[in-house]
Amino acid sequence: MFRNQYDTDVTTWSPQGRIFQVEYAMEAVKQGGCAVGIRNKTHAVIAALKLSQDADLSSYQKKVFKIDNHVGIAVSGLIADGRILCRYMRNECLNHKFVYESPLPVSRLIRDVADRHQVATARSWKRPFGVGLLCIGHDQTGPHLFQTCPSGNYWEYYAIAMGSRSQASKTYLEKKLEDFESCDLDALVKHALRALEESCGTRKKDDKDGKLTKDNCTVALVGEGNPLLVLDGEDVAQYVDAIHAEQEEQAVAATAAAAAEMSIDGSQGRDATADMPDAPTGGAEEGAAAAGEDAPASEGQQPMEEG
Amino acid sequence: MIPHCQLPSHIATGPHVSPFVSSPSHAGRAEDLHVPSSGSSAPFSVAPSADHAEASAGAEPRKHTTYPYVTGNSVLAIKYKDGVLMAADMLGAYGSTKRYKSVQRILRVNDTTIVGASGEISDFQYISNLLDELMTQDFCYDDGCTMTPKEVHAYLCRVMYNRRNKMDPLWNSLVVAGVDKTSGSFVGSVGMLGTSYTDSHVATSFGNHLSRPLFREFQRDDMSLEEAVSLMQEALRVLFYRDKTSINKYVLAKVESSGVAISKPFALDTKWDLKAFVNPSKHAVGSW
Amino acid sequence: MSGVGSGYDLSVTTFSPEGRVFQVEYAGKATDNGVPCVGVCCKDGAILAVEKPEETKMMLPQSNRRIFTVSRHCGMAVPGKLPDGRQIVSRAHQEAEQYKRFYGETIPTKVLCDRLANFCHVFSLYWSLRPLGSAALTASFDDQGPHIYLSETNGVSYRYYGIAVGKGRQGIKTELERLKLGEMTTREALKVVCKCLMRQRDESSNKKYEIELAWISEETGREFQRVPEDLAKQTVEDAKKEIEQEDSDSDMEA
Repeated sequence: MFRNQYDTDVTTWSPQGRIFQVEYAMEAVKQGGCAVGIRNKTHAVIAALKLSQDADLSSYQKKVFKIDNHVGIAVSGLIADGRILCRYMRNECLNHKFVYESPLPVSRLIRDVADRHQVATARSWKRPFGVGLLCIGHDQTGPHLFQTCPSGNYWEYYAIAMGSRSQASKTYLEKKLEDFESCDLDALVKHALRALEESCGTRKKDDKDGKLTKDNCTVALVGEGNPLLVLDGEDVAQYVDAIHAEQEEQAVAATAAAAAEMSIDGSQGRDATADMPDAPTGGAEEGAAAAGEDAPASEGQQPMEEG
Repeated sequence: MIPHCQLPSHIATGPHVSPFVSSPSHAGRAEDLHVPSSGSSAPFSVAPSADHAEASAGAEPRKHTTYPYVTGNSVLAIKYKDGVLMAADMLGAYGSTKRYKSVQRILRVNDTTIVGASGEISDFQYISNLLDELMTQDFCYDDGCTMTPKEVHAYLCRVMYNRRNKMDPLWNSLVVAGVDKTSGSFVGSVGMLGTSYTDSHVATSFGNHLSRPLFREFQRDDMSLEEAVSLMQEALRVLFYRDKTSINKYVLAKVESSGVAISKPFALDTKWDLKAFVNPSKHAVGSW
Repeated sequence: MSGVGSGYDLSVTTFSPEGRVFQVEYAGKATDNGVPCVGVCCKDGAILAVEKPEETKMMLPQSNRRIFTVSRHCGMAVPGKLPDGRQIVSRAHQEAEQYKRFYGETIPTKVLCDRLANFCHVFSLYWSLRPLGSAALTASFDDQGPHIYLSETNGVSYRYYGIAVGKGRQGIKTELERLKLGEMTTREALKVVCKCLMRQRDESSNKKYEIELAWISEETGREFQRVPEDLAKQTVEDAKKEIEQEDSDSDMEA
């Protein structure tokens, strides 16, 4: 498609003062698999949904990379472009470590890599990087979560999602934002995975598609006294199973509540829901969510269009 | 090569030619024959002629600093309960002349770090500029990250070692001291060749021989500030009695988690009417 | 007129028949349509202020900065495209550092801003580059006193008593012209500047805004600093109240 004569070159400004090539590069990010990042007081977590050419025949493409002991990134968009930036970031960290024998402050690393993004938007012989990065890190100023953009912009967040259908994840994150700051690491990982699952796409009950599995997602976490840890496969399975188990419970609880409310005596129904989540794993706030009558009950299972 | 200056070949390749001269054409320059070269025909040309530079490069290897000019002597630093203490005198000696007597050899780097230097004063001034640039960078980033004493020490190690590898060393022994929010007190040293170590107490130059034995015996990481100051004063006094290139004008600096404090110059009480000094040769049996 | 769509506006190395370089003008649009930035020079110092829309509560309040420190005595606000602006800031930092290293003194503001204008200008000279979609609004304090300079993407650099760039700049400039900035202290001017920015807001949209403030004055020891958070918050609150007060007063009169 050819929209106008100003959109074929990074070095051409449109009459409104826009650079279309950069905006198109930002579209590439939206095509990539979703990545979610959250931080609390001490830790930062990313969870990313991996895509594959063919679910049955090919493996999933790796998109979470360790940069250094204190920094990790998730990439959405053209993963190959992401790997170039990954190499650059690793180099920066190593150089800093060589000179100062200390980890590079995350905000400075991000500013450097964002400047690199910018350079690619201003030279005729280059093209903008077709990736956005979610970057988690920990330094002397605590945990950090950054997002970069092909335009060379970057922002720091408490929680954010990017990539395809990330709006659904963002909705989840916005709703739960207050919980993150004080929750523990396990809960933080689960929040990230639940948010990620929101982006998995349209799905009906009992449909395996659109679900997280241990193979299609990666988690990375870093924090105080906790060097970057990347969880894949079996390591992530326990978390995925846990959130699915909780969803089941909540679904059961919700039906029970609905049934109870249908029945004449409402108070009994409420007792029933309050008892339910206490049984196996459910953390404090999951219990609270389930206990709070109807609305939040089956969040994880609502179809995308409504989320 | 200038054709009409060509020497007979038996002279050009003769045994007096330096082994660094690789080709015969290098010998027998215009300069050797006192023929003014075309480049510097002006009678009072200030710049050395290009010919001269080349000729001497062939004759002798290139030299950088081979000795210092204006030097500072010992720097001492110890840890104590709440931080670190550093001391140095204010002399800038020109050889054995006490030439400059108000040279501040302890530098406040930032709120957590100080650096003291012995050796060439001008090289230390250069190092001060390097550190100032680094601190300005921290200031500009304005992201709450500042350099820790450990980082400053590591950085100076790299600088000193790189310069030594260029055969152009910065002629200093440096002491880095400070307090880190997370890892506590830090005291470390870097030599002019890039050799570095950290300890609970360090000293440079003469202090290495005269003060560190005292530190080894009396310094404790949990000593109070008063104890640390009196130990430091004792160490300085011992040094002053024996070190020719030192003066009785000192600066004491401390770093605690609350920040850096550097004292005004002060003098120590000294005592010279000891019996041993009245007739020095009396006790020096066997000497001359 | 041969303007948009004529083909004379596709490359920075092409003049139009009237002698204009459209690509540079288009790049200027990025600044003109961007966030409003104000710089004012007062009796004892200078102020920079930027008004930014608050994007989402998931973002850190201090994130997405547009005011940067260049050296101890000099800072810069960047309108327009922030990534382009950061390139100017990096260059400014290099220039300041290099000057200090060579001459042992801080760089005079005029020298710095002229060099930055040159830097911007280079990007409008080659077909293989594009003009930067930003500018440098510099505040500094040197032996000549406080300064505000604006170095633009077309390569010009002027000193100002007060200047505004970005959306609503015309309105803000008109308001600034009415003020006696040279008689105010930076502390007094802080609120006045906030009011100027707030009055030019697009009232139709319900967006929330935040104002980023930085200053350099005798009070800060001639060091460029962002205005302390509580003071900035207080100033914005006061400004808001005063505007409401003034509005209701004028309603009463009407």
